[in-house]
Amino acid sequence: MLRSLLFYKRIHNNRLATMTIRLGTADLAKYPFLNEAAEYMHQTYFNLDDLNLPELGHIVERASNRIRSEIEHGKPDFTLERHEIEILTFLVGILIIKAINSDNLTKKHCLCEALRAEKFLVHDLKTHGEPSTRKLLLFKVFKELLKMDVLPSMKYQLMFEVKVTDYLKRSHLFHEQEWKLINRLVHDGRVFLDPDETVRLIRAEVTNLLLERIKQMNPSHIPATIRGQANILKASIPMASRKLANAPSAYPPCVNHALDLMAVGENLPHSARVMLATYMLAIGKNIEEIVSLFKNAPDYDERVSRYQVEHLAGERGSRVRYLVPSCTKLRNDGLCFATSQCDGLINPVQFGRAVKYYRETNLR
Amino acid sequence: MIPTKTGKDLQMMKAAFREFYFNHGNRIEEPVRIQNREFGLMGFDGVMKRHLKFSSLGRLVASLVLETPSDVFASNAQYDFPVLPISEKGWRGADLIFDIDLKDLDLKCRLSHSYMTCFSCRSCYFSGSEDRCPKCGSNNFAEVMLPCDRCINGLKSEVSKLHRFLASDIGISPEKITTYFSGNNGFHVHVLDESFNDLNSQARADLAAYIMGIGILADVIGVRRDTHNDFRVRFPLGGLDYGWRKRISDKLGISITSERKLTKLVKELGDIEQFRKRVADIAKEMGVRIDSQVTTDVHRVFRMPGTLNSKSGLTKTLCLDLDSFDPFEESCQLSSREVAVEIMPPRLKLRLKGERFSLSEEIVRVPIFIGVYLISKGLAHAV
Ligand code: SF4
Ligand SMILES: [Zn+2]
Ligand SMILES: [Zn+2]
Repeated sequence: MLRSLLFYKRIHNNRLATMTIRLGTADLAKYPFLNEAAEYMHQTYFNLDDLNLPELGHIVERASNRIRSEIEHGKPDFTLERHEIEILTFLVGILIIKAINSDNLTKKHCLCEALRAEKFLVHDLKTHGEPSTRKLLLFKVFKELLKMDVLPSMKYQLMFEVKVTDYLKRSHLFHEQEWKLINRLVHDGRVFLDPDETVRLIRAEVTNLLLERIKQMNPSHIPATIRGQANILKASIPMASRKLANAPSAYPPCVNHALDLMAVGENLPHSARVMLATYMLAIGKNIEEIVSLFKNAPDYDERVSRYQVEHLAGERGSRVRYLVPSCTKLRNDGLCFATSQCDGLINPVQFGRAVKYYRETNLR
Repeated sequence: MIPTKTGKDLQMMKAAFREFYFNHGNRIEEPVRIQNREFGLMGFDGVMKRHLKFSSLGRLVASLVLETPSDVFASNAQYDFPVLPISEKGWRGADLIFDIDLKDLDLKCRLSHSYMTCFSCRSCYFSGSEDRCPKCGSNNFAEVMLPCDRCINGLKSEVSKLHRFLASDIGISPEKITTYFSGNNGFHVHVLDESFNDLNSQARADLAAYIMGIGILADVIGVRRDTHNDFRVRFPLGGLDYGWRKRISDKLGISITSERKLTKLVKELGDIEQFRKRVADIAKEMGVRIDSQVTTDVHRVFRMPGTLNSKSGLTKTLCLDLDSFDPFEESCQLSSREVAVEIMPPRLKLRLKGERFSLSEEIVRVPIFIGVYLISKGLAHAV
């Protein structure tokens, strides 16, 4: 989106009248990642260097405050301004994030933007007066953006229908029992959800979509004001936010799954945290690295996390080093996602070794 | 576990299998996009060769005739590079499959057609509770079973149940569901609906749990946990019209107007925990007994339709009409050429390919389809 933005010259007059926005501008303010918001930017002939102009200083400040509060409290900002301001704040926000270039912060920012949109979307699905506006919104967000069909249920008021496959692809990211398909109203290939559930289903996806956009984004240069803000913010990031070096594919499926959940800010059950921490200890990660893994947890508290990891490492209390739970135990806890690479495993720590053995015997 | 075949047993089985692939290799069903599948050939020595690729059915059949494997598998997944190790194959989705096996059904007729076989001294007994051979004391001793018509009917009704779940709940139209007899003690159900192909194993695990009736909460019919161990009844949005909500509420005789009845029911059972257990039991009872590991594995190599199952010498066969399908007729495709075998159990009755056989502990001449059937189960030996 940004790359094409760079080629436009600015024209000050408001060209909204000639635009073909079918969603209201109020919607673009809430969902600045929609394709139409990008279209809007095209139409205004906005230029990146405009961000150095004093009259846009408040936008840069607003975006950087938003990121600061994400670093400090990990919470999104729910204030809502006019669409011109919101769309620009969103854009400046991701520029700053790109300039800071920290994986952890990028993830956190995307998650916060997703949470922000989630809140507005739930509200809109519950209240947006006209059924046609609601349908349009569903179309723009779910179909255009995420390639997912969501329809207002004809049968049940205030419920939405999604395809079983679309549901399953997303719901496995949640560990709560009520998200298991069996605890849903399922009929004829569709799952019926209320507005909160419908929107909750796509949190991880919106997060990933934003992550992907930031990764793809390749601005020709970053304006001085943005770089300045990025440097200030960078200095305030705690040191421990380093990501783990190991390639994820080297981990067993159960560990990968837990890491995926963490990455998109899902709440991990206690048993999964224990598995993750003991596994990482077993393969030689240090406590610092492991604590920083839990950074994305919605209830993250560094002191508590550190205490727990140290406890598992046997550096506290009973001084017993905890072992990685067995595959059987993990299976019973619903944490096992075995693939055929897991054939014959008793404990996840055997994962890499077993793969090797398996190849040698079968690749004759 | 029945040990791998040796000596004359091995010779006879291999000869029968080679002859089959030579004459009937064209009956093997070619998988969709064969060039993107991984193949696995199990040898009679019990070693599996995986990561194989065949660009056409003809090439596969040629190698079956040449190598005569005991069992032939193709991946349910499609890959960019089927021959590379799993992490480098480039996964492109996998067919959704289900496996229903006799061992999961717990049918009562089992004992009436099970034998205990000793692989050390070759003696054979009617099923008992021994864990070693009463004659030679060896513990190389296993239970083998010849499924009967009741077994097959039990399997069929489980398969029908699966069909109903897939159709009414999951919304898969019947023409996209293909059912096969596995060649031994089970049925395989393949779903030919591409929209399921990209589900990962977690998503498939959730789907499997749905079909098996596992993990249900009392909330689905509106019994919710309140403070402490108390509960309240509030029927869910969307009512009790469909799916598990309907199954459970029908079983309990509940509708959305019977709030008082439901409250009473929970109280009668003790508390919400007891009620949850009751609901879980009902769900498990009403669910389908599939082998969830099979459904969840997106890298599995799975027995190919039209190939022989070395545990029986029967073929994995397409069932066009489940009700009338008779595996002992349609899946028995080895020739009728006569061979001599020694029957091990004192008495043995079976029906295969339209003939009834009543055999006893002696050397007899039988058609090779009978010989292979019994040898594969350790109930006879080639002489
Ligand atoms: S089998 Fe073991 S290692 Fe593999 S996913 Fe399950 S718990 Fe993890
Ligand atoms: Zn013996
Ligand atoms: Zn039986």
